[in-house]
Amino acid sequence: MIKFQNVSLIYPTAERTILDNLNFEIGEGEFVLLIGETGIGKSSVLKLLNGLVPHHTGGILAGNVEVAGFSTRNVRPGELAELIGIVGQNPINGFVSDVVEDELAFSMESLNLPEEVMRKRIEEILDLLSLHSIRDRKIATLSGGEQQRVAIGAAMVLHPKILVLDEPTSALDPVAAEEVLAILQRLVHDLGITIIIAEHRLERVIGYVDTVIEIGKDGATRIGKPEEILKDSKIAPPIVKLARALKLPKIALSVRDLRKETEEIRTNGRDISFETRLTGSPLITTEKLNVKYGSKLALSPIDLKINSGEVVALMGRNGAGKSSLIKALLGIIEFEGEVNKFAKRNGYIPQDANDLLYHQNVAAECEQTDSDNNLTKGTTFALLQQLAPSISLNSHPRDLSEGQRLALVLAIVLSPNPDILILDEPTRGLDYQSKALLINQLTARAKSGSAVLIATHDVELVAELASRIIILADGELVADGPAIDVLLASPAFAPQVTKVMSPRKWLTVSDVLRANE
Amino acid sequence: MRTSDIFKFTAFKYFALLATSTLSALGFFWPFINSNDRPEIFFWLATPVAFLILMAIIGQAKFDAKSLALLAVLSAIIAALRPLGAGAAGIEPMWFLLILSSYIFGSSFGFVLGSISMMLSAFLTGGFGPWLPYQVFAAGWVGLIAGSIPQIKRFKKFEIPILMFVAVITSEVFGILMDLQFWPWALGPKTQLSYLPGEAVYENLNRFFIYHFSTSMAWNVPRAIFTAMLIAIVGPGVLQALRRSARKANFSTEIRFT
Repeated sequence: MIKFQNVSLIYPTAERTILDNLNFEIGEGEFVLLIGETGIGKSSVLKLLNGLVPHHTGGILAGNVEVAGFSTRNVRPGELAELIGIVGQNPINGFVSDVVEDELAFSMESLNLPEEVMRKRIEEILDLLSLHSIRDRKIATLSGGEQQRVAIGAAMVLHPKILVLDEPTSALDPVAAEEVLAILQRLVHDLGITIIIAEHRLERVIGYVDTVIEIGKDGATRIGKPEEILKDSKIAPPIVKLARALKLPKIALSVRDLRKETEEIRTNGRDISFETRLTGSPLITTEKLNVKYGSKLALSPIDLKINSGEVVALMGRNGAGKSSLIKALLGIIEFEGEVNKFAKRNGYIPQDANDLLYHQNVAAECEQTDSDNNLTKGTTFALLQQLAPSISLNSHPRDLSEGQRLALVLAIVLSPNPDILILDEPTRGLDYQSKALLINQLTARAKSGSAVLIATHDVELVAELASRIIILADGELVADGPAIDVLLASPAFAPQVTKVMSPRKWLTVSDVLRANE
Repeated sequence: MRTSDIFKFTAFKYFALLATSTLSALGFFWPFINSNDRPEIFFWLATPVAFLILMAIIGQAKFDAKSLALLAVLSAIIAALRPLGAGAAGIEPMWFLLILSSYIFGSSFGFVLGSISMMLSAFLTGGFGPWLPYQVFAAGWVGLIAGSIPQIKRFKKFEIPILMFVAVITSEVFGILMDLQFWPWALGPKTQLSYLPGEAVYENLNRFFIYHFSTSMAWNVPRAIFTAMLIAIVGPGVLQALRRSARKANFSTEIRFT
């Protein structure tokens, strides 16, 4: 179906080769995952498939990309539109109309299909992707998972043979991600479509895909079954890291399989003690804090105390009141009750990091931060260089990768040394490297006496980072306790390692190793 | 091979644009045609016919996907900006964006952007009428003028003052053109400033300019000042954003297969 032969790519303005001598072949009806470090050129590979690179972007392409018998050298992207459906990284940016049904019809209208055909296909897609209940809804009011499904539907109406998705689940909460992946798997199995995705969150997708392509730094490409590639790939989900750390002969990709192989370890391991982080005086206290939107209670009265030295993770479904709580603590929205803060400086990173960036280049952002906070010139940039050495001062903040942007925002927020640091879902679209950076920075801050409050869906991050977890549901506080207790109490919220090792109280790979020394 | 460039008229289309512009100019300038054979026929025919021909030409033009996307977004914004100021006292916030985008994307794009935005905003404001073809041509010419300013790196410092100057000039040009299509019908036959059919060109010119300048304090001068001010205040930021989208669109970038 798809054939890459000695493909190399250079963009006209770039100094370095993006892709170097890529070779692989993908058959019909395969579900393929593309992995590789950030900036390695995964998105470029996806765009090469339908000829957007180089026909729209310019560039020097060596070798040959063949899709369903067509070479992209000779065929313009528009001519491949019926063959390849593309779903971009951020579906909301790609929608052209307001209502679900109109969106599904748009590409067919552009191709001037007869009305009867359009009607039939829309019904078919509504059923296939279970969208019928939201067919009349405004797209802007849909949840992230529903929007992603609509985007997939809009790509599917033209009956493509190949579907390409760039990070389909990165911005979704776990439930919505499952929903989208289940749909994709159904398309592969029922319709024999070839699906190619690039995704950072391997722990979510690895169970679904048939084939993994790893693009290495030196241009070495490997293609194979997930088990083979993940045995020694640079990027791996926690479950694979666990298997590697325990030196198991076989890599398992599901919790069930790995549990079978680790029975001995579970029974033989010792109980380990967790270092209790020293927590100091309270930095935030609330009394009967509650938030109302009109007559709707978004947050029931909550008494909360956050101490210095703590990393508190705030978890719960979308719409559970996490953002309301954070905004009330910051004083951005109106609330009832009391919030007392005993800190000189607060740092806040909003859900969309772009909201903090409004200059034309990285250098100007850093200078602005220095002058806003009366810091000596260059402080912010020095911190940024620690976090992301490769970042270019002249880049436009919106052109940065997700990881680089997080580094910039962290540098901006951390350079004045805030006593309280509040983050609202900072890990959307981050790769494992950037996540490790975030974990290091936040842990160091907590050790030096700051308090960190982080709202997130990412249990793996929480397992590595948090000392305490608060779970909200429908605006009510359901759980508040040490991370280990809360994570072990509910199987659905547990990180992969804990699921494998349950009922033992081990959260991370290093815990398991410690217990089996 | 290169990626597609920003939309540009072909030589033939440029010629067609010139021809339709000349024809439509007759519709604007008919009061100065010294003839007793009902020159107002030009008002009713020249510009509307030129308008239809022009639409046919633009409709046939081949837009690549990127130019079309840019045109769609920018004309939608400009059209939406127009009713914002309600036109009161010349406060029309659409012109600054038309001038800035035309300056970045060139004269062909500027002309199409100006004329399409004007038509689109007629849908929003319900402003359909015999004046529409005149407004469409005048706005197109504003875009054409602004798009003809060369972007020279060495003079980048003077970019904003130059654009402010262009804003003043084009506001005045647009004002004169709009007055021209309005004036012969506006005053009735008997006032001292009325159009006199069959009178000497000098006399009518004189009357028109007195009319124009006596009324322009209310419309054209505020429009010129307002547009120039907007360019001075938001111009640098908007130019940056437009340049960035132009860069990201990779217009006319080399494609090579080896």
